Amino acid sequence: MDGVDIVGQVIGGKFGDIVIREKFGKNLEIGDLLVSEEENSFLILQAFALEYGSQIQDRMQQMMSGVNLEQGVENAQFYEPEFVNYVLTRIKPVARVSKSDNSVTLPKSLPPFFNKLRLIKNEDLTFLKRSTEQIFVGYIRSGTKVIKDAEVWLNAEDVFSHHILIPATTGRGKSNLVKTILWHVLDSNKVGALVLDAHDEYFGRHSPGLKDHPKAKENLVYYTPANPPAGSNRLTINLESIRPEHFEGIIDFSDAQYQAIRGAFRDYHESWISQLMVLPPEVSASSENMAITMSVVKRKLRLILGLDVNVQNQVESKNDVFNAGTKGLTTVDDIVKDIEQGKIVVLDTSRLGNEAEIIVGNIIATKLLEKYKDYKQKGQLERKPVVTVVIEEAPRVIGEDVLIAKNDNIYSTIAKEGRKFKVGLTAITQLSSVIPRTILANMNTKIILGNEMKQERQAIIESASQDLSEDDKNIASLDKGEAIISSIFVPFALPIKIPLFEEMIKKHSTAEKSTKTKVF
Amino acid sequence: MQFAHMSDIHLGFQKQENLQKIEQMVFENALDECIKRKVDFILIPGDLFHVNIPEMRVQKFAFAKFRQVHEHGIPVYVVYGSHDFSPVSNSVIDLLSATGYITKVTKVKESTEEKITLDFVTDEKTGVKIAGLPGLKVGKDEVYYQKLDRKHLENQPGFKIFLFHGGIDELKTETGPETDFMPLSLLPKGFKYYAGGHMHDFLHQKYQEYTHVVYPGTLFAGYHSDLENNANGKKRGMVFVEFEDTIKNIEFLPIDNAEYEIIEIDAAKKRSEDVNTELLEKIRTLEPGNKIVIIKIEGELSEGKTTDIEFTKIKDELQQKLALDIKINRNQLTSKEYTITQANGKDKYEIETNIFSENIGEIRLEEKALVGNTGVQTAKKLLKETTQPILLNEKKSDYNKRIEQSAIEILGLKVEE
Repeated sequence: MDGVDIVGQVIGGKFGDIVIREKFGKNLEIGDLLVSEEENSFLILQAFALEYGSQIQDRMQQMMSGVNLEQGVENAQFYEPEFVNYVLTRIKPVARVSKSDNSVTLPKSLPPFFNKLRLIKNEDLTFLKRSTEQIFVGYIRSGTKVIKDAEVWLNAEDVFSHHILIPATTGRGKSNLVKTILWHVLDSNKVGALVLDAHDEYFGRHSPGLKDHPKAKENLVYYTPANPPAGSNRLTINLESIRPEHFEGIIDFSDAQYQAIRGAFRDYHESWISQLMVLPPEVSASSENMAITMSVVKRKLRLILGLDVNVQNQVESKNDVFNAGTKGLTTVDDIVKDIEQGKIVVLDTSRLGNEAEIIVGNIIATKLLEKYKDYKQKGQLERKPVVTVVIEEAPRVIGEDVLIAKNDNIYSTIAKEGRKFKVGLTAITQLSSVIPRTILANMNTKIILGNEMKQERQAIIESASQDLSEDDKNIASLDKGEAIISSIFVPFALPIKIPLFEEMIKKHSTAEKSTKTKVF
Repeated sequence: MQFAHMSDIHLGFQKQENLQKIEQMVFENALDECIKRKVDFILIPGDLFHVNIPEMRVQKFAFAKFRQVHEHGIPVYVVYGSHDFSPVSNSVIDLLSATGYITKVTKVKESTEEKITLDFVTDEKTGVKIAGLPGLKVGKDEVYYQKLDRKHLENQPGFKIFLFHGGIDELKTETGPETDFMPLSLLPKGFKYYAGGHMHDFLHQKYQEYTHVVYPGTLFAGYHSDLENNANGKKRGMVFVEFEDTIKNIEFLPIDNAEYEIIEIDAAKKRSEDVNTELLEKIRTLEPGNKIVIIKIEGELSEGKTTDIEFTKIKDELQQKLALDIKINRNQLTSKEYTITQANGKDKYEIETNIFSENIGEIRLEEKALVGNTGVQTAKKLLKETTQPILLNEKKSDYNKRIEQSAIEILGLKVEE
């Protein structure tokens, strides 16, 4: 090890909390990755706390400061200050890498006492080498320093089928991260995704987005309710696609109301919603009490789905998404088919209300899971791409209060059992603490962005795949675009820097060669 | 003012004489109706013919009818469809166009690597501006639309009509084809009427930026399944559109084609013997004279082979009762005793090899050349030879003899003198 590289030396502590003295001027940061070279392997350690150390007693230091501040002695300095005062850094071992085969194991021993440590380098991270069918999430970060050549790629099938949780507060780069992940998913047809885009930000209708990917024409499908840009689809879902069970676990209907809904479905089959909307409640109900219930159901459905009945007694959609006529009869099947072919389907749900968005997702996700279950039964699942349902503000569907009050819904079902059928959830949330532990524990990859709320950090730390008990401050201090990946598929909790999407696409943008077209 | 819109006529599709007559009759009736109504022009967005150069019989009656329409001063505007397009402008459509009986509306102003700019054809009498793009097989025309300079077309003033031949996602139906669709957003916006071809059922939808998107559907049949739908009551016809500055009325006019009888049998969990009896009983109570008879059998037989059902006998009986034609759909009929196991592969040839390999063990034969790997090779050779197409100018009898001879040689057999 070159003397210039040395950043500190092991001087004490215990396993999981090793103390090093920092070499003067090295300015180690929380999150920095250090390396302790050993005979056949090297140990990667991570800084989690910093404190001052000094050879001079506290009282003496206080007196020195008094001389400086009160007596106006301007040039008062410690004799050999770099030797006398220093920084003590507390570090924990995170991985041991074998020099012979690059294999990574969990460390079970301390670095040799007094061993000198250096900062991690590119060459130390060759074990992160990319293999096939992986998705890019960012670059390894040591503190705030980005190791540009150390790219972090995760196995797409593993991470998507085992669910991803992206916990972060506003402004920490959630959208940028999701776009970055999806951008690489577009490279191949190995992952299908349903993206419920509540802010219409991923496709990039008016700004750079997934549409700029060279393979967007083949692998990206965008649905929007109004005025779709050229080549995009109109998001129209026929009311006949909606079944009573699509409301279960999402909408707060009473038992009597559910009974009325199921009764309407029994009587009017696929056209049950349209019939409920246009018929007076007393016609569609069997008793006076039922008529009252029916009228409540009618009002609720109208509000949830944004429906209206015009003067010709025809059902109209205020948000242009739901259709009572002959439009949108195959939309759900088309979307499911695209996802099954490994495409990303982005639904612009920005014009839909909260519950309507979840119901749209529910209709599609239910069909998707049913089909994948069927493929498994027929032994065809192997040939299908893994699929993920990307949902923002995940507690709306997998929050504790929702699941206790309204039973399971398709999203919680996917979180609990989707893995067996290659169907996963990519849940984005500001509030991890309200997601039940059973579901959090099933989300085997967490890409943790900055979070200033202690309670939220605690929930994430407690459910992480690696021991992050010392990382509370680390998570709190994550800047925009900085993240920690905790996953059963990474050797240790990887600190990463997510590139800025706009810069990344500039780098990748290679004008597609088109040939002159002869028009017959 | 009024125009007519018809498409997917597929002249030349029918191989059986009785059905050829119906095909010709509905085509002529449709154009007669246009003449009778004195329409200002006719739109045919593709698949007027089933192939780009149909047999002379078809060309003869088509030319005669279009000449008649021309003599009545009614212009006909067309684009190629996926069946009748020619990459070298060498189709009967081009011949009709050269005679002036019809007008191809695909007028390319400029075609570069990035952009295709179209110009309008203006109908002299009405001043209506018509533009359009042809349809190609397996949705290859989508590249046209991706490169189409939509703004150029959208910015032109006037009453505009766009002709296209292809499936539109937004108008997909649950019973129609499943592939080769493109989003409506690829079409230029703001036209008064979008005249579609390719979908074989009548469809009409309205959208804010695309006020009337219409497919008239086929006039008779362009796929075998069309006849089945006809038998189930599907109306076939054309569209008449009244307009001034805007569209005033869109009328779908059904054109009669033939009478039908349909027999549908669910063979699931039945013995082949029982299905045969059921089928024979059903046809005996039928009065098929002058009708097209559709027989559809599906499901998995619990016992017996699919070949146990006497389709030839059934056909003979119906023919004796003067049925116009008999179509038997047994694609979904399988037998539990023998089901073909599906197999995958990276290409057609690998799939064929794998299917033969998977299934050859099911066949009990003593002839060594027909079992095991040798059997697979023989089956592959046989499949290759028997799917050879008929050669240009080759007589059907010569073709049959040639294929028969090849099969005999592959099987190592000798024909007894």
